[in-house]
Amino acid sequence: MDKILINKNIVELNDFLSLVNNLKETGKYLLGIVASDERKFDSKFNIKYFFGGNGIIDEYLVKVDEKFQSISKICPAAKMYEREIHDLFGLVPDGHPDLRALMLYPENWDFSVQPLKKDYDNLVPKVKEYGKYKFKEVSGEGIFEVLVGPVHAGIIEPGHFRFSLAGEPVLQLEIRHFWKHRGIEKVCEGKDFNEVMNLVIKISGDNNVNIAISYLQAVESILNIELTERAKYIRMIYAEIERIWNYVRDVAWIFMDIGFALPAQNLFSLQEELMRLNKSLTGQRFLFNSLTVGGVNFDIDSLKIKAIAETIERVEKVMKECEAFILNSSTVLDRLEFTGKINKKTAEELSLCGISARASGLPRDTRIEFPYLIYGKFDLKPVLFESGDVFARTALRIKEIYVSKKIIGDLLFNLPEGDIIVAYENKPEAYKYAVGNSETARGNAFFYVMADDKGKIFRLKYIDPSFRIWPSIQYGVLGNIIADFPLINKSLNLSYSGNDM
Amino acid sequence: MSFLSKLLFKSKAQDIVDDKSGSALIKEDELKRSVDEVLGRSLFVRLVDSGSCNACENELAALSNPYYDLERFGIKFVASPKHADVLMITGCVTRNMLNPLLKTYENIPSPKFVITVGDCPETGGPFKDSYSVCGPVSKYLTVAMHIKGCPPEPEAIILGFLKFMDMIKISHKVSFGS
Ligand code: SF4
Repeated sequence: MDKILINKNIVELNDFLSLVNNLKETGKYLLGIVASDERKFDSKFNIKYFFGGNGIIDEYLVKVDEKFQSISKICPAAKMYEREIHDLFGLVPDGHPDLRALMLYPENWDFSVQPLKKDYDNLVPKVKEYGKYKFKEVSGEGIFEVLVGPVHAGIIEPGHFRFSLAGEPVLQLEIRHFWKHRGIEKVCEGKDFNEVMNLVIKISGDNNVNIAISYLQAVESILNIELTERAKYIRMIYAEIERIWNYVRDVAWIFMDIGFALPAQNLFSLQEELMRLNKSLTGQRFLFNSLTVGGVNFDIDSLKIKAIAETIERVEKVMKECEAFILNSSTVLDRLEFTGKINKKTAEELSLCGISARASGLPRDTRIEFPYLIYGKFDLKPVLFESGDVFARTALRIKEIYVSKKIIGDLLFNLPEGDIIVAYENKPEAYKYAVGNSETARGNAFFYVMADDKGKIFRLKYIDPSFRIWPSIQYGVLGNIIADFPLINKSLNLSYSGNDM
Repeated sequence: MSFLSKLLFKSKAQDIVDDKSGSALIKEDELKRSVDEVLGRSLFVRLVDSGSCNACENELAALSNPYYDLERFGIKFVASPKHADVLMITGCVTRNMLNPLLKTYENIPSPKFVITVGDCPETGGPFKDSYSVCGPVSKYLTVAMHIKGCPPEPEAIILGFLKFMDMIKISHKVSFGS
């Protein structure tokens, strides 16, 4: 069980704004906002605000009937969360600048139905048009729009991008997401903790191990489960392998998008080798089902240790060549440098995490800020770049692959003996809740899990790093030519499924 | 440039081999011959993700890596539905994606076929009980072929294509009279 330091507070609605202001000044940033319908035993909706920073999570609880104070104006990162709460609970954020629908589309959903309220009767409105979605408009002489998606040209997930251009440079980008909204949070309610694992790993398949680690951290602290050392080590090994294969793929796509097919395909081959390694470890190319409540499902024996060590050794070799190639090629640098710049101030205001934050100079890495499993034993320093451009995000991934390789090497060398799974009793205290945190290849994965009085899930909220980072692209592309958009998008490589949930 | 020139001579394309028995499942030229015979050397596929967990897309993207190199068989993922013969669908069909999915289908010229990939489009997968899922695909479109798995591995997808070719070969004779 990992101990995260949490500071709990209950606040009155009226002094909340100044409080948020103070928090920001002391270097705190928004980790997430979680609403939950607790009218059954508390007669109110609860909205919990989680702020991170300085190694401690601050939790603020606001009790709400119908309306709550919007904090978006002083904390822009809150904007999306407040729209989400408006959609799913019907609660109104007072003073919110943009209350259009977010995940439930007026094109097919009746807004008098709010699916995350506990008195929702599970009846879905008929699929028909209930209203229209209004896009922002930019007008003026010579200004035109380019619409992209939701169905894109390649093998990618759906999302809608609307560019307003004056000549080639982008004046404004508006993103409409949530095409893939699958309502996972609701499906999880009333199920038991282990059953929900199958949904948790399918939130965003390519990050499933790290997301599951965050979920299990919350669940295991609700159930007071203490993992064996061996299980912790193995979880970390899987997590770092997943990070490596994600990064290798991401760098490959960057090469692909600047027309360097040869190095790209070389890296895709490397990715394939890693997927095959995954399969030899767990029988599954994505490491799906490798973790479970109380431990891990697949042990690592000496043969597997050898296979992992050999593969990551080769990964490092290829990435070193790749790094040298990038740095020595002016045509590559020309495309990557100064493209898609997200400056530090923007990153701070939007409360970014993961690669996107570190590339813009913010030292945010969950493994270091809120160490879990045995990350605390490693003397990790955040890898930082200041320039916030595509180059920074690419170079950062390559550098972090070396770090992950070192972590895996140490873990394999020191792998302790013992069981990989512990027995536990599924008897949580009624309405006990906990949060989980982990660093995926995209950034911070945040879970809020609350048990009900029968040992099932009462409320589960997941905040994907992509949900926090997507809005930043709208700033990253400004002034860039539209032809660079795919490159900028790939350099962040965010998940649509994790964002849309 | 040595990095690039080293890569140039490394070819990975191979027969698709069964893990367990080690025997070849698909000989390099078998699928190509089918594509050649039945569809005049090309099968163009348009993919729509109707609400997946993204693992299925990752496996479809892997088909283009040097190990599988799908295009050597004449099978290509195309950018526009207007160019496509096949609509390939992943995901559970969310309410929000239903309309774009059907519009994409409408825009594919006939004759056209639907192939579904992964458990999601067949049953709704783990998301089937959700308020925002309105699948499975078969409620809306006639599915010519389904490729099972969660996600199906690249080998399974290629095998699926081969099976699809066999199927077309038979129905081709019937419906186009050649
Ligand atoms: S079939 Fe499985 S792997 Fe494919 S999208 Fe659905 S849940 Fe993900």
